[in-house]
Amino acid sequence: MKIIAFIVLCVVSAAAGKYDKVKITPDMASIYVYHKGKAVKVHRIQDTKHKLTGEYARVYRPGKDIQPIKMHKDIQTIAEVELLKFMKTKGNKKKGLLVDLRPKTAYQKESIPSAVNIPAKVKDNKAKVEKILKVLGAKRLADGSLDTSKVMEVAFYCNGLWCDKSSEFIKVFLALGYPADKMYYYRGGFQMWKILGFTTVTN
Amino acid sequence: MRLSYLAALALSTLLVNANVVEIVEGLPYVKVEAEGKTYKIERAQDPNGYLTNTFALTSRPSPPFFIEPFSVDEGIETYGELEVLDFISKKQGIFIDARLGNWYAKSAIPSAVNIPFKLFLSETTEREKILKDLGAAYTKSGKWNFSNAKTILLYCNGAWCGQSPTAINALIEIGYPKSKMKYYRGGMQAWQLLGLTTIVPKETK
Repeated sequence: MKIIAFIVLCVVSAAAGKYDKVKITPDMASIYVYHKGKAVKVHRIQDTKHKLTGEYARVYRPGKDIQPIKMHKDIQTIAEVELLKFMKTKGNKKKGLLVDLRPKTAYQKESIPSAVNIPAKVKDNKAKVEKILKVLGAKRLADGSLDTSKVMEVAFYCNGLWCDKSSEFIKVFLALGYPADKMYYYRGGFQMWKILGFTTVTN
Repeated sequence: MRLSYLAALALSTLLVNANVVEIVEGLPYVKVEAEGKTYKIERAQDPNGYLTNTFALTSRPSPPFFIEPFSVDEGIETYGELEVLDFISKKQGIFIDARLGNWYAKSAIPSAVNIPFKLFLSETTEREKILKDLGAAYTKSGKWNFSNAKTILLYCNGAWCGQSPTAINALIEIGYPKSKMKYYRGGMQAWQLLGLTTIVPKETK
């Protein structure tokens, strides 16, 4: 049953890609990811006249510094193509997790498919952070140190180029000993995702 | 009466000078110089500012438009806006708008010079002149020597624009050192989404 569903999914996606007018890359029109147990097709809005409107078209962002291209020398900054690869090769195989650091209300309204919500302010709550580390596969050893040998890879995003939540959260994780090569910073964030017409989900 | 007028003027001047939206905290604007002119680059201060022009379009037909990867090549640094501002305000090299002339003429980032990407693609006298302007030397053995070539930073319309990556790839092919090329991927779209200053350049060459 599962195998049949998978084959159907592959055929459908291959066929759908052929007719997509707006693709992602020359050899990718869409991918499927799992959002809360359901398969979601991630592609781009096909209406070439569609313009972004609303909150994410807003330019005025007082008090929001433009973020540097790199938040830390050892943390890789990624963009959409790399994020999609992460979602497909890590997220779909439960080897990686996409984390949305925006407030719960923003996440509920709309998010990137497959993302889980960890509001950035959680970083100040030691007990919650400890729980998150555990979910990600880290083990607190008897001597108090953190065993990160089996942790998942994590990609972080927040509102976009002017949002510092991702870099602040990654800094906390680095200080706790989470390996730098297991974390990715999607700097473009939700705003770039939206302005490129990518699929979003409500939560 | 006169005093209140002055007070209002003083207040308005103060309001005009104080940018509510700064580039980063403590940095309200950056000044750049190009061709004897000084440009002030800052972020839009209008509380009702939305991106509504052609750069608000989400979906452009592919081909030719695809989403570009984060980096063009492993050896080439990708810049964000802060790195671009640093580069142009400290004159670290040549800032190149790689779009076709009609795009550049409409609106561009201050201090950028327009060298359309197509000019880099084939061996022409035009390309020879451009490379020489950038500091490359044509050796007797018929090869380019880039040891005195300037560092160049290229941009085009944004994450969905392949023009600057195409130009960079063409330059890699003829040996322009990767360490002397930078790529501003965000381009015109991210620049305007952040409300950063653009200009309408004078006549292109």
